Parts: sequence; C-alpha cells; structure tokens
Amino acid sequence: MKYLVRAFVLGIVGYAVGVGLTMAIRGGGPTDEVAVVIGYIFALMGWLGGIGGIEAFGRQWVGKSVEVSTARGWRRYFQFSVDHKVIGIQYGVTLLSVLLIGGIAAMIMRVELASPGVGIVDLDDFNKIVSMHGILMVAVAVAGIIGAFGNYIIPIQIGAQDMAFPRLNAIGFWLVPPVAIALLMSPLLGAFNAGWTSYAPLSVTNESGQILFNMAIVTFGMSSILGGINIITTVITMRAPGMTWGRLPIFTWAGLATSVLAFAVTQFFAAAVILITMDRVAGTSFFQPDVGSALLYEHIFWFYSHPAVYIMVLPGFGVILEIVTTFSRKPLFAYKAVVASLFAIVGLSVVVWAHHMFTSGMANFLHGPFMIITEAISIPTGVIFLGILGTLWQGRLWFRTPLVIAFGWLFNFTIGGITGIFLADVATDIHLHDTYFVVAHFHYTIVGGSIFALIAAVFYWFPKITGRMYNEKAGSIFGVWLTVFFNLTFIPLFWAGMNGMNRRIGDYPDAFEGANKFASVSALILGASFLLFVGNLLYSALWGPKVGPNPWNARTLEWLIPSPPPEHNFTSQPVVIGSPYAYGVKGSVHAYFPDANEGDDPGDGSAQNQETVLA
Amino acid sequence: MRRSWIPVVILWVAYTVLIVVATAQFTWFPKEWAREAAVVDEAMLLLQYLAAPIMSLVMAVMTWSVIGWRTEGGAHREDGAPVRTNKIVVTTWLIVTSALAIYVVINPGFVGLAEIRGEPSSDYVINLQGQQFSWEVTYPNGATALDELVIPVDARVRYDIISIDVLHSFWVPAFRIKIDALPGITTTAFATAEEEGTFEDDVNLRIQCAELCGAGHANMAMPIRVVSEAEWIEYVEALATDG
Ligand code: HEM
Ligand SMILES: [Cu+2]
Ligand SMILES: [Cu+2]
Repeated sequence: MKYLVRAFVLGIVGYAVGVGLTMAIRGGGPTDEVAVVIGYIFALMGWLGGIGGIEAFGRQWVGKSVEVSTARGWRRYFQFSVDHKVIGIQYGVTLLSVLLIGGIAAMIMRVELASPGVGIVDLDDFNKIVSMHGILMVAVAVAGIIGAFGNYIIPIQIGAQDMAFPRLNAIGFWLVPPVAIALLMSPLLGAFNAGWTSYAPLSVTNESGQILFNMAIVTFGMSSILGGINIITTVITMRAPGMTWGRLPIFTWAGLATSVLAFAVTQFFAAAVILITMDRVAGTSFFQPDVGSALLYEHIFWFYSHPAVYIMVLPGFGVILEIVTTFSRKPLFAYKAVVASLFAIVGLSVVVWAHHMFTSGMANFLHGPFMIITEAISIPTGVIFLGILGTLWQGRLWFRTPLVIAFGWLFNFTIGGITGIFLADVATDIHLHDTYFVVAHFHYTIVGGSIFALIAAVFYWFPKITGRMYNEKAGSIFGVWLTVFFNLTFIPLFWAGMNGMNRRIGDYPDAFEGANKFASVSALILGASFLLFVGNLLYSALWGPKVGPNPWNARTLEWLIPSPPPEHNFTSQPVVIGSPYAYGVKGSVHAYFPDANEGDDPGDGSAQNQETVLA
Repeated sequence: MRRSWIPVVILWVAYTVLIVVATAQFTWFPKEWAREAAVVDEAMLLLQYLAAPIMSLVMAVMTWSVIGWRTEGGAHREDGAPVRTNKIVVTTWLIVTSALAIYVVINPGFVGLAEIRGEPSSDYVINLQGQQFSWEVTYPNGATALDELVIPVDARVRYDIISIDVLHSFWVPAFRIKIDALPGITTTAFATAEEEGTFEDDVNLRIQCAELCGAGHANMAMPIRVVSEAEWIEYVEALATDG
C-alpha cells in the first residue's frame, strides 16, 4: 500500500506543479484547459514514479541498480510487480471493475429510456452518460482479454518464464488506473458529451471534460502499444524449444494477431484527440467549425476504431477456439486456415474504415471500394466459424460453464456478424446508420463477441489461476441467464432502429415505447446476473474446492504446471514435441520436462505425458 | 461412426424454413412514403432471407451438439475422432462464402447504391441548414421556414444540406434516406415522396437529426407534410410574401 499512497501523493503534487507552472508562465485560472493538460502530464509522471518507476527505472538513470517489487501475497497486486501473472490479475480485476461501473451507467440509461420523455436524467446528462458508458466499455473490450489473459496465459502457453520486457509490462498496466481516474473525474470539468467517438467539431467546442477524455485516450493508447510490443516480442523470441509456429496454441496466435494490430493503429486515435486538444488549447484549426475538416477527424478516428473492433474480438476468437477444442476433445479443425484467417483479418481490417462513413458526405467514388473490402472480411471470419463448428462436429462435448458461455458467444456473434452485412451495404446502411439497429449490432459484436469471451475465459482459467474450482451449478446458471437476457435486451432494439429510432437520445417518440420498455426490463434482469457472477468468483476464490494442475484434462502448457503456477512458471524447462491439439491420437504428447525430478512433479498432467514419452 | 449429418441437415432445413416463414409473416419496416424507401426495404429483406440459412446452420450444429454429442463423465472421458481438417469441406466453405460475399456486393450492394445515389436529376431543390438544435428550410423561391418542411408529392426533390455549427445528420425515416450536415460543405440527398400525408399520420414523416450534436440532439426534429404539387406551389408563394 505504501507505493500506492506514494503514487497518489506524487500524482496530486505533480498535478499541482503542472497547473502552478502554467499559471505562473501564462496567467489564467487553474481550470483553463492548458493548465489541465500540463497538470495531467505532470500528474501522470508523478503517478508512474510513485508506484515504482523511481526504483524500476529512475535508479538506473543515476547509475544505481534497478529494484522491482518482490512482495508476496496480496500486497504485490498493489505494487510495481514485474511478474506477468500478477500483472494479468491486476488487469483482470481492474477491468472487471470498470465493466461494472460501465454497467451501472448502462442501467441508468435503460431506466431513463424505459419510457419517453425526460425522467431521471436530463437530455444533456444522458449524452454524457452514453459517452462515459461507451468509452469505459470500449476500454474493457480492448484490453480485457489481452490484458488479463494475454499477460497471464501467453507466456506460459509458449513455455516462457515471463514476458520479454517485464518492466514495460508493469508500466503498461499502471497507465490504466490514470485512464479510469481521468474519465471518472471529468464530471468536475463538465464531463464530455460528444460520444466515445468524439466527433469534431462538437468535441472542439464542448465542455472542458473533453480534455480529460483526450488525455485518457492518449494514456490508454500508450498502454496498448506497450502491451502490443511486449506480446509480439515475447511470442517471437521466447518460445520454448520445439514450440514451432505450427504448434503454437491458438490463443497465443490470436494474442499475437491482436498485438500486431494494436501496435500498428492505436496511435491514430491518440493523434486524433491530440489534434482536438491543440485546437482547444493551442489555437490551431484542424477541426474548427469554420475552417477545419470534420471529415478528416472521422477518417483518422476510424482508421483506429475500425481495427479496434478486431482488437476487441480477435482475442475472443482465440478464447472460444481454445475452449471448444478442450471441451469437445477433438483437434482444432482446420488449424492452419484459422491462423491464416486471423492474419487476413488483421490485414483487411486496416482498409475498411470508411464503411462507418457512408452517410458522412465523403466523396461518392469511395463508397464502392469500401463496401467491397468490408464484405471481403466476412470470408476469413467465416473460416473462424468453420473452425469452431468443425471442432464441435461429432465431438465428445462436455458442457461445463466455459462451453455454455462459448455457446452463447457463438449464437450472439453469428447475429452480430450477419447484421454487420446490413451495415456494410451502402443502400441499407443509409437508413440504418446511427440508429438503434447499429446499437444492437455493436452490442452483439462487442458484448456478444468480446465480453462473452472474456467471461468464458474467466471461468476456463479460474482453476488454473486460483488453484480452486468455481461453483459449476452457479456458473452454468449464470451462463444461460446472461445469454437469454442479453438477447432479450437487444433483439427489440434492432426493430426500434429499423422503425425510426435514432441513437444517443434520452427521449424518443411514443411509438417506440413498447420495444424500449421490454429492453429496459430485460437489461435490469441482465444486470442482476452479475451478482451471481461476482459472488461465485469471490466465494470460490476463497473457499472453492482445491484442484489439481489440469481439471479439464487440456493439453496446452499452462495445464502441465501446478495451479496456481509457481513464481517462475516452470521449475524445469519444457520441451515441445507435438501439436497441443492432438486429441484422440494415441500416444501423442504436446510437451514434456526432460530434466524434471520426482520432487518437481506437479501431478497428473505432465507425469502422464512424461511416462508416455519415456515408454 | 455415427451419421450425424442427417439430423444436422434436417435441423438446418427446418430452422431455415422457420426463419423464412417468420420473416415473410412479419412487417419489418415502417410505411414507405418514398420511392427510395422501397429500394432500401427490398435490399433489407433480401439480406434477411440470405441470412436465414447461415443463422440456421450455426443453430443446427449448436442444437445437435446439445442433443447428440453431449457426454458426461468428467475430465478423463474418451477423445473424439482426431480429424484435423478436411480439404473438401474447407474448399467448399471458402467457395460458398466467397460467392455469397460477391453476390451481396453486387446485389443489393451496387444495385442499391446506383438506385439511391445514382441519379442526380431533380425537379426541385430545397436547402436545409442544420443548427443547434433546429433545421431551417429554404425553398426554391427563397422563402424560409423553421417549423415544418412541406414538399410536393411525386416530384423528385434534391436536398442541399449544410450546417452552421457542429455535425448534424438529415434523416427522414419514412424515406430511408440520410446524409450528414457538415459545416462549410454542402451535401445532397434525393427523395421522391409518393403519397400525401403528415407527421400526425406517421412519426417517421420527420427530419430527425441523427448525428450527436449536443444537448438538444434528441429533439432536433422537424415535421414533414407531403401535399399535392399545386398546393405546395401555393404554400411556398404565400410563405414568401408573408415572410
Ligand atoms: C448490460 C448491458 C448493456 C446495456 C443494457 C447497454 C446499453 C447501452 C445503451 C442504452 C447505449 C446508448 C446507445 C445509444 O444511444 O447510442 C449504449 C451505448 C454503448 N455501449 Fe452499451 N450497454 C451494455 C453493455 C455494453 C458493453 C459490455 C459494452 C462494450 C464492451 C458496451 C458498449 C457500448 C458502446 C461503445 C456504446 C456507444 C457509446 C456512444 O455512443 O458513444 N455496452 N449501451
Ligand atoms: Cu468498422
Ligand atoms: Cu443532432
């Protein structure tokens, strides 16, 4: 806790110094936007130094040796730990909390929308709540799976002891709390009402809370980029002997594809909001109403934000494929085609951005090409589905919570994908764009595709991470509850959108009351399901029955070491000698530990495999 | 080897028929007040029918997974058949999905695009200016109005749209057309109303701002009244002399 307190103190001191300096140099008040920007930059440096940057980096700059947290027990979660497992849990807990806060905002909106007219929040506040909900949830979807499980699981799956750059990894995580703090403090400066998309020129002329939004985006972008470089380098350079590309587990492949994408495009969102910030504080006019170009903003924004939807969903593909193979006990169907498709999606996703701009007034000749490339993405996405369906085909399906939620995912993401075609088609998108049809569509893809996978991943790897089993009955009831009420919430909204209800409105014509009431009631029941989820996790983490290394009898490396894994993951070097998915092949082995002695032997998984190899 | 494909195919066909029948029974769209609306609705309906077999395939495999392929018996149950891939299946899948993608690009993709955005001719031009939080209409003779938009039936009207502050979007749900209003750049949309009527007959006969523009965005709407051409000319002239 000492470091966390120091981080807050140095953060506040930094803020004061930044604001003070600005006022001393140029005059003005403490809430002037320039002062807030400079204050934020100093605060961020104070925070990072305070949490442990001073010891982990600063000491090196003055010729002393580096120190990082060596705490054990619960304390390490509040410190600058460089252990990828600790960082994974830090991401997981932080982002699940953000998911709950964003969920509360969603509940407030649904209550407001239960009937037409202005109820519990006025129209402008509604816009601010939509914007807050949107950006918090986007952050969860972008970093949830890759931050928590990318960090925790990928190094173990490839047989490494840690990430390639452990200190950068820690910095990457500790950049996240300032994002949440800046966003949640923004109401002090009037909050931001331009949506998570922050289209200019509204975002150039609205209240000062927008500045904190901008700073949060830049900070979050740095975190994504650092995380991306780290995973790319780790997967390329730190694989165990024998871990060839053809033997790489699919979740690792998906994490790698995601990281390539995040590394390549994240800076564009940051660039867009930095230009907005300059328009606001430095007198530039990139997007000023009279002289700037609103279309330019949209192009830069979507150049990041379309790929971002794949940053959200590719790790989801990885999780679901991993779960389906494990619980179907069959090799991953068409593994090579699936891997190729992941990267085809990465490539195509950076050249489709303007499908969000079919009604923006951009040049007419652009519509055709962007429609073609967008439809082309449905081909590799279809191959991912083929991989899932082919693996299920005649499998020996064992319905545990992860698979139950994976089934919910499959149903939802199919709807999300199909409705995407309606939006990729210029003729239909002209009507549907910016309506509730779009709202329903992107909830089916983001919640259905990314958040469902995140939740499935939580259940799948829970026994590995905690060493205890969650409650199966509560887990699968939650899975069904979540899926049913998610669908009941969003299905009626497709209808509302097609029939004339636009989005980002706190009030609507009476004609849409029926659909909205239905959605609101369903949403509240959906929200309540999270009590069961969180309750199950907390209870089971403390009192659940202990499990061995491999409760699912899965094959990737993380299941061959004890649960929870020891500090350096492997007590002896694993050697990979076969595919991780050779289910049903007699005598097949993914990896073994050539110099493990009896004492190191963790239990069923690896021992069994060793015997097979030695026999 | 169990012949799973028989029940799966039966389920697939059954679901497809069910979805197609349900799609045909249900009224999906609000009333079409303009020629363009019919084009959009037709495209939507076509996509809905194309979606039926795709959704059904996934649902069929999911259903049979639960009914036919479920096992119990804990972590150490037997493995499935070690099928790694199947060239014929993968190739067929690729060909079918590519063909579908190409088909939707052509129809309704390019066909719809041509019909909606293709023909730049018009009988009248009406100017619309978006501002926080209202629309201002300027008719061909220079008359302006802030309370309603009156248009002639059976005439193709070009809307020239501009904003004086932030982004707005000109959306008429009854016509299924939409185009953003940008500061400093004029954008255009075309619509041919086919029936006389008013906002009181159908809420979708309104211009609704569809781009978040600030506090008053939700209520930035303007009623539309479609009248006969003669009536419209009279109305516009009266408006010019009054104003
Ligand atoms: C309990 C479930 C949820 C409900 C009931 C819900 C409801 C809503 C509502 C009513 C809106 C406003 C729509 C509009 O007017 O444009 C909205 C917007 C949005 N939601 Fe959700 N939501 C939920 C969960 C999520 C999750 C988990 C995510 C992502 C991970 C998400 C992402 C978004 C985004 C990106 C927006 C757009 C915000 C904007 O327009 O700037 N939502 N949601
Ligand atoms: Cu996109
Ligand atoms: Cu608006």
